Amino acid sequence: MRAYRVGLRLCVAAIVAGALGTGSNIGAAGAGTDALLGVWVPDTTPRALLTSRGGTPPLTAAASKLYAERRQRLSKGDTSFDPTTWCAGPGMPRILTMPYPLEIRADANRIAFIHGWYRWFRIVDLGAGTADPPLPLTMGFPVGHWEGSTLVIRTAGLSDATVMDASGLPHSEQLKLTERLRVLPSGRLEDRISIDDPEHYTQTWETVLTFHRDTTARVTDDVCPDRMAGGEPAEQVTRARTTASRTTSILPRAAAASANSVAPAPRLAGIWEPKTFGIMVPNAPLSSAGQDFVSRNAAAMQAGKIMQTAWVSCRPGAISTMTMPREKIVVLESAGEVTILFEMPRMVRRIRMNASHPQELEPGYVGDSVGHWEGDTLVVDTRGFNGYAELDARGQPTGPRLHTIERFTLSADGGSIDLETTIEDPDYYTKPFTVQRSWKKSPARHPFEYDCMENPRQEDFENAYYVRERYRPICMRVEGEGMAPSKMVCRRPQ
Amino acid sequence: MQAGVRTGAILPWILAACFTVVSAHHSTTEFDYSKEVTIKGTVKEIQWTNPHSYIQLIVNGEGGTETQWSVEIGSPSLNINMGWRKNSVKVGEVVTMNLAPARNGKPYGTLRVLTFADGQKLEGVAARVGARPGGAGPAPSAPAAPAASKEP
Repeated sequence: MRAYRVGLRLCVAAIVAGALGTGSNIGAAGAGTDALLGVWVPDTTPRALLTSRGGTPPLTAAASKLYAERRQRLSKGDTSFDPTTWCAGPGMPRILTMPYPLEIRADANRIAFIHGWYRWFRIVDLGAGTADPPLPLTMGFPVGHWEGSTLVIRTAGLSDATVMDASGLPHSEQLKLTERLRVLPSGRLEDRISIDDPEHYTQTWETVLTFHRDTTARVTDDVCPDRMAGGEPAEQVTRARTTASRTTSILPRAAAASANSVAPAPRLAGIWEPKTFGIMVPNAPLSSAGQDFVSRNAAAMQAGKIMQTAWVSCRPGAISTMTMPREKIVVLESAGEVTILFEMPRMVRRIRMNASHPQELEPGYVGDSVGHWEGDTLVVDTRGFNGYAELDARGQPTGPRLHTIERFTLSADGGSIDLETTIEDPDYYTKPFTVQRSWKKSPARHPFEYDCMENPRQEDFENAYYVRERYRPICMRVEGEGMAPSKMVCRRPQ
Repeated sequence: MQAGVRTGAILPWILAACFTVVSAHHSTTEFDYSKEVTIKGTVKEIQWTNPHSYIQLIVNGEGGTETQWSVEIGSPSLNINMGWRKNSVKVGEVVTMNLAPARNGKPYGTLRVLTFADGQKLEGVAARVGARPGGAGPAPSAPAAPAASKEP
């Protein structure tokens, strides 16, 4: 087991170093940072992007033909050119055209855009130089700097698996975006986007999107496959642009402005990667109900079935990151909140500092977290889980009465975080128990991107055992016979 | 093109742990790592995607039959670190693939090694997974997860 752990560390260290390269972060919070912070709602959600002068984007002849084909398909209700159809990543700038709010948070080294659709986020690195993308991602590798009170973001390394807008406006992997964000005198946020893609456009062109503040809008714990399972479309085009609030994850409005400001002396802020791994939680004190659950999983697996847990079925789950840390996390600290953005499973956790849980908690995948400092230890108390998460690879269950207390302790040299989590769940365990994991500083400038919903292959579900019925997929990729291409097939929910 | 298939045991590899951790989803029951199959065919489609990337390969068999194989090659972040780039393999290219086949007998497997026409090679994710001598399942060095679990 020891050799295995050593192997893991070497393996992951090599992967991180090789894939992401390194880069120094230069503290660069700009004069306009505070003005950008908070929740913004799009003024318009164009289904087809136009230039800033209202014209048609200058497509090349080949791209124009591709776009016409997509619009023809769209006219027949076929949106399969757009990965959001099956809850995969929208990419840029598509996600900015969706009728969901976005929240901007920041620290001295990076700015996070947290989007209201299926927990997507992008991290803008404020360090010097340009990114060197090892492979294209849907959100690319954004690097920003301030020009006065204007935030300039340059993004390269954008995957061509996405579309520019809901009408299927194409782009290639040569695409480079330059955004100029500023708050206008009217109080609106303007994102002026320059689009440079010589493969698909005859010249660089520009489009402009604007956003307004709305005191009722919140970025919620949106889980696209759950909405689809409920019979809703992946993108709620007709929904109100202000998303209903989730009362368990918001700051008191009066305190929001100052609480969002960059923390003067952040302790955990930065990008971290797992130092120790664990996919099993041994010796958990299972109750008879818990043991029954695990025994059912084991019986299905022994019968040759493939176990489908919340994680595998692309649900988030705060508890799983406490017991099975994977890939990088980004920690942002403000006076009122510690925000943790997880690469895998993609998830945003909001820890309200020096606050208490509301009396009525709306159950969710990440629960409601409140925290306080005890010396250099961040203590986080979380309740309000929904019972749709498993502790480990055996599928040890959790219930809605799950309660966790995490203790994040920074090492003396600031290079690692030890996490001790106490887990209490009377539905499935006879007594509280603890799990230890560790994180270390990552040299990466950006988290990587793990889009669990990209390719739900039919083969993965042909012999599946679903730990919870909720995890059954709505969409699968089905291979075409002969030279017929593969296609995504989505079933109607039962 | 001819499909050549051979079966035999392979040696255990101690890097199964890397695979288990890095691969986002993996089922150790889907594939029989104690076997190997070699196919040669034309690349129909490349799916450079999470949780797994795939190559669809059209293989011509005896009597003019045509079989489409689905071959899992890894995941983008893993394959990048194994020397792949997104355009390493092109649609229409003729390649040879050595793989661990699916247990269900369908034309489906996970890649050990891809060999290009000029002899250059790229390893797939199954190159990092061994098999118990004479048996199926993960290498002894793999974590003690149930053999049938699908790792997150």
